[in-house]
Amino acid sequence: MNAALELERIEYAYRRNTALRGVSLQLKPGEVVAVTGASGCGKSTLLHCAAGILTPDAGAVQVDGQDLAALPEEQRAALRRTKVGIVLQFGQLVPDLPLVDNVALPLLLGGHERGEAHKAAMNWLDQVGIADDADAVPGELSGGQTQRAAVARALVTGPSVVLADEPTGSLDSRAGQELLDVLLEAARYRGAALLMVTHDNLVAASANREIRLRDGLIQHEVSL
Amino acid sequence: MATAELVLGLLSAGPAHGYDVKRGHDAWFPDSRPLAFGQVYTTLGRLERDGLVEVIDKTSGGGPDRTIYALTSKGRDHLSDWLNDPVPPAWGSADEVLRKLVAAIRTGGDAAGFLARQRASHLRRIRELRETPADDDPTSPLVREYVVAHLDADLRWLDSALDRISEQRGTR
Ligand SMILES: Nc1ncnc2c1ncn2[C@@H]1O[C@H](COP(=O)(O)OP(=O)(O)OP(=O)(O)O)[C@@H](O)[C@H]1O
Ligand SMILES: [Mg+2]
Repeated sequence: MNAALELERIEYAYRRNTALRGVSLQLKPGEVVAVTGASGCGKSTLLHCAAGILTPDAGAVQVDGQDLAALPEEQRAALRRTKVGIVLQFGQLVPDLPLVDNVALPLLLGGHERGEAHKAAMNWLDQVGIADDADAVPGELSGGQTQRAAVARALVTGPSVVLADEPTGSLDSRAGQELLDVLLEAARYRGAALLMVTHDNLVAASANREIRLRDGLIQHEVSL
Repeated sequence: MATAELVLGLLSAGPAHGYDVKRGHDAWFPDSRPLAFGQVYTTLGRLERDGLVEVIDKTSGGGPDRTIYALTSKGRDHLSDWLNDPVPPAWGSADEVLRKLVAAIRTGGDAAGFLARQRASHLRRIRELRETPADDDPTSPLVREYVVAHLDADLRWLDSALDRISEQRGTR
């Protein structure tokens, strides 16, 4: 089976800091991988490279067999919009847009009809438990509500790859478990490959594999 | 309590008297209860019977403390298997994890590899517990939450142990 996401020897340096020193990993459709490791070891950088938010200094990123760097800008943007769902560690919602529009945004940008996009967005807001807040703008939400909305937005296009950075970080354990279950369902029932960065061992426990980073390298990789 | 394996670990540096084994144990685990002489000799006797240690010298006329024990190759294999295998996660399993970790470091074993496997074993157990369907017993969710919370605490300790060991390795 082809990998849904493949990273090959990714290297990345910020101006002063080398964050990744050659990290390779593969996720099959439906597979759930937890990326763990101490603060500053490169987890978010890895996720941003996988998402195409950062361009690696060396190495390659493939989504559904397509090399991101080899695609013209427009196709790369379309691939990211349709195939990759991202939940970032620090908010990513458009501030003045009601939640329903925030969640519908990836569909609207992809040319979907407005009514249809809203219907899909409402459905996802319901799944993550914040349908009642559909008309609120992000500034009116708690950290946990924002995270739920971010998960809804990441899943609305039915992506093949879901990348989530501390997706339950602002939630208490019960709410965190509920949101995690929504993400896991996307993997189990819709076959998305799910890569989750987490400090939370209870979240890591639901993965098929743990990849632990240290200083920009894989320290160990274990099947769970 | 894995005393037998710890005794094998203590003998892995070279042959020793029962007395040295006891002293070595108490130095490895200064915060735990000292090992009783009686227990050392019973353990050594059992290990000898099982072919894991052998007597290599017995000064004539002496009591049992004059006997020098050495690890056999079977004993060495047994020790290395023990150091490699994660502890089955359960109540109080962290104590044995600590014993193995200390023994692995002291005997030059693969402590980081052991910690990685132990993490995996704990994570798997947490998943199992969380996937166990609810039953009618009102105490079972309480017990399960208790166990999960303790395994989570073990995992946090395993995390920092891994970081500490890799730091020490990195700076050496
Ligand atoms: N925008 C940036 N500019 C410069 N250096 C950065 C930047 N972002 C991250 N770094 C550095 O790169 C390294 C990896 O950072 P990264 O954010 O990937 O870590 P992380 O594993 O996600 O940490 P955390 O668990 O705290 O979120 C760190 O040394 C960090 O200081
Ligand atoms: Mg981060």
